Amino acid sequence: MTGEMIAFFLLALTAITGGVLLINLTNVVHMVVALIFTFIAIAGIYITLSAEFVAVVQVLIYSGAITIIMLFGIMLTRHQEKEKKAPRLKIILTGLTIGLFFLIMYGKIKDLNFGQQNVELHVENTKKIGVELYSHYVIPFELTSVLLLVALIGSIILAKRDDDEKEAKK
Amino acid sequence: MLQMSWLIPLFPLLSFILLLLFRKSKSESTAWIGVLLTGISLVMSIGVFLAVWQGEGIKTEGTWFQMGERAITMGFEVNPLNALMLVIVSLVSFLVHLYSKGYMHGDDRFPVFFAYLGLFSFAMLGLVLSPNLLQLYMFWELVGLGSFLLIGFYYFKPEAKAAAKKAFVMTRIGDVGLFIGMVLLFWQVGSFEYDEIFASVKNGDLSSGMLTLTALCIFVGAVGKSGQLPLHTWLPDAMEGPTPVSALIHAATMVAAGVYLVAAMYPLFQASEAALTVVAVVGGLTAIFAASIGLMQKDIKRVLAYSTVSQLGYMMLALGASGYVAGIFHLTTHAFFKALLFLAAGSVIHAVHTQNIEEMGGLWKKLRITGPLFLIGALAISGVPLLSGFFSKDEILASTYADGKYGLFWLAVIAAFMTAFYMFRLFFIVFTGEARGETEKGVHESPGVMTFPMIVLGVLAVVAGYLNTTWFGTFLSDYLAQGAVELPHGDHHGPAWIPLVATLAAALGIALAYLIYQRGTLSRDWITRSLPSLSDVIYNKWYIDEGYDQTVVKGTRGLSKLGVLFDRYIVDGLVTAVTTGVQRLGRVGSRVQNGQVQSYGTAAIFGIVILLLIVALTGGYFS
Amino acid sequence: MSAVPLPAYLMLALILFCIGLFGALTKRNAVIVLISIELMLNAVNINLVAFAKYSLNPGLTGQIFSLFTITVAAAEAAVGLAILIALYRNRKTVNVDEMDTMKR
Repeated sequence: MTGEMIAFFLLALTAITGGVLLINLTNVVHMVVALIFTFIAIAGIYITLSAEFVAVVQVLIYSGAITIIMLFGIMLTRHQEKEKKAPRLKIILTGLTIGLFFLIMYGKIKDLNFGQQNVELHVENTKKIGVELYSHYVIPFELTSVLLLVALIGSIILAKRDDDEKEAKK
Repeated sequence: MLQMSWLIPLFPLLSFILLLLFRKSKSESTAWIGVLLTGISLVMSIGVFLAVWQGEGIKTEGTWFQMGERAITMGFEVNPLNALMLVIVSLVSFLVHLYSKGYMHGDDRFPVFFAYLGLFSFAMLGLVLSPNLLQLYMFWELVGLGSFLLIGFYYFKPEAKAAAKKAFVMTRIGDVGLFIGMVLLFWQVGSFEYDEIFASVKNGDLSSGMLTLTALCIFVGAVGKSGQLPLHTWLPDAMEGPTPVSALIHAATMVAAGVYLVAAMYPLFQASEAALTVVAVVGGLTAIFAASIGLMQKDIKRVLAYSTVSQLGYMMLALGASGYVAGIFHLTTHAFFKALLFLAAGSVIHAVHTQNIEEMGGLWKKLRITGPLFLIGALAISGVPLLSGFFSKDEILASTYADGKYGLFWLAVIAAFMTAFYMFRLFFIVFTGEARGETEKGVHESPGVMTFPMIVLGVLAVVAGYLNTTWFGTFLSDYLAQGAVELPHGDHHGPAWIPLVATLAAALGIALAYLIYQRGTLSRDWITRSLPSLSDVIYNKWYIDEGYDQTVVKGTRGLSKLGVLFDRYIVDGLVTAVTTGVQRLGRVGSRVQNGQVQSYGTAAIFGIVILLLIVALTGGYFS
Repeated sequence: MSAVPLPAYLMLALILFCIGLFGALTKRNAVIVLISIELMLNAVNINLVAFAKYSLNPGLTGQIFSLFTITVAAAEAAVGLAILIALYRNRKTVNVDEMDTMKR
């Protein structure tokens, strides 16, 4: 049992616990908070996978930005904080389907092993990523920026347009 | 001339087509199209007949289509038998066209009537010219169609509609027999050709059982068409059609097609003694049976219709008793005098506007042309010496006697007596005595266009008998002997007393009719009173129709009721089961279509899982 | 060196993915549905990063790809939330089972 193992198990346990809480809690805000644990745990998993930059981004964007956005969303639309349970039949059917999916995938991945090769991913990880992004992946990178811009403008228009129409009607 | 004989049926067809184009026309001069074109047919038929008389003959055929190794042919054939038929058909058709010009005067669908007459004439002439059974069968059905259309010409009369349907259905029973016989022959011989069939019959290629079977099947067809027992009931009902139609179709030509068929297939019948006997017995029974019904009928056309059935029975009897010539001879003479009688009856109906003989009387003085012509016809059919009916009937009696069928011989003699009696009963009631009913006013002779055909037929009814007499020469049998058909040998001119017996029977019949209906020596209802049950049975046509109603019709109704039940509960039930099943499935499906993204998502995931499962189980390959 | 084997990471990713899927398909609140989708994307990211280390061709590609995925996920979350708010203004609800305009 190496330290890496212990770290992995703890992180995995945290992530899964967060997920299970997401499913089982009834208060919407609590659900989001439970998910923050998952996201942070996943960032830790990234570190064990020698992807420090991705882990930092994960903490910044998911645990920070997206969770906050979601909380804003909940606050802006809070007319019913308590989450009602879905119909039992629906839960059973969905659960069965997903259980089957899980079993199939489990059967396929449980013995998957390509062996370990010595790669120095953790050495100057951020620098290497930066170099790659600005050299080899420069076009997707710029496209991503366009995408973000479009998403920005799109969200503003989507969230705003109704007011304009209402005012036009008035 | 002979090469052109295929044109003969086409002229009436042309007339049919032209008149259909003019069918909305109100002008009665359209009739002349039909008259002219059938006139051309008549002239050509006579030309062909004269050529054949001199010993010529022709048979032209082309392959219609090939079926494996067997070729189905189409073409035409002229031999003595059908040349004679050509003349009879086209002559009667021509005269009836002419007559109808007067008789149908004022009818709304005047050109349509002539169009139908043209169609019928085309079919009948085509039937006669056919060189093989298949072609004959086609025209046979066409003739039936023509008959159906013409019987139902007054389609607004329910009786006419019913009669047309009845005629169609009853003859169809016979047609099925003919069809089965035809197919059996094709199966056995490999050809529909008369010649090849006869050749293989002669070579003994067919077993005797098969010979009898095919002959009987074909005879069933003849029974249906010629109104023989037990399929005769449509013929009297067919009198609902216009009278010229009765004269053309149901007296002279179409009903004779059955006799013609037996005559044309004669070698087949000759090869089977049993089939010949059946033909003779059916013919003889029909003759006496129909004659007995004719004794009591009150409708002038029905009397003549039963008389036709009876005379057709005579012809069948003659053919069955090896009297080939006698049968054809009687067919010829009968065509003339029966057409004459029908046309004369039509003239009477035209004058008094009723068909019930009890409302007629004393017409002799008013119908100065129709009366004597009717008398000639009556004398001819009764077999009074020196007129045509005498010779042909004598021939039939002689050949029956010579064939050793003595029972049938005496039946035929009694039928002859009855024929004479009912014909003169009709004559005396209609033409002599006092006028009855309210028909005396406005009675007038028919126009010339109607009397002329009757006069022609009257002359023929007198002289046609001299075609074949023991005294002047047997022209007709010599002529028919040229044909492909090998005639039975031997002298059919039986003992000299046969003509005497026949004459005596006729004279007795006439005398009895005279005593009852003219002098009143014997009371009219003398027989009715003495034998009430028998006369009841006869008056009601031996309850044949009622019998059919009780058995065949009720049986069919019962069967159809069963069929309805089957259809309603089993077929319909299946259909309903399928529809409700689909409906239920649809309802379940529409419940799934609830518009909620999550349900759709679940369904999509489920589908993906199924696909994944397949991939996982088969390793990605279906092999 | 006994490192954590690849199947362990994949198992974790699978479990999180299934949880996210279940949440996305059964939760009524649209915000939670969006978050569940984020969770599914995260599970995918774990796979990408794990394969970047333990595969036949290890390299940075998997990590960079996961960066792009995170960016797109962020954009998706923003747009999704904007749609949600617009919808909430119109219909006064964020319950997914009341959004059945596809049927009407």
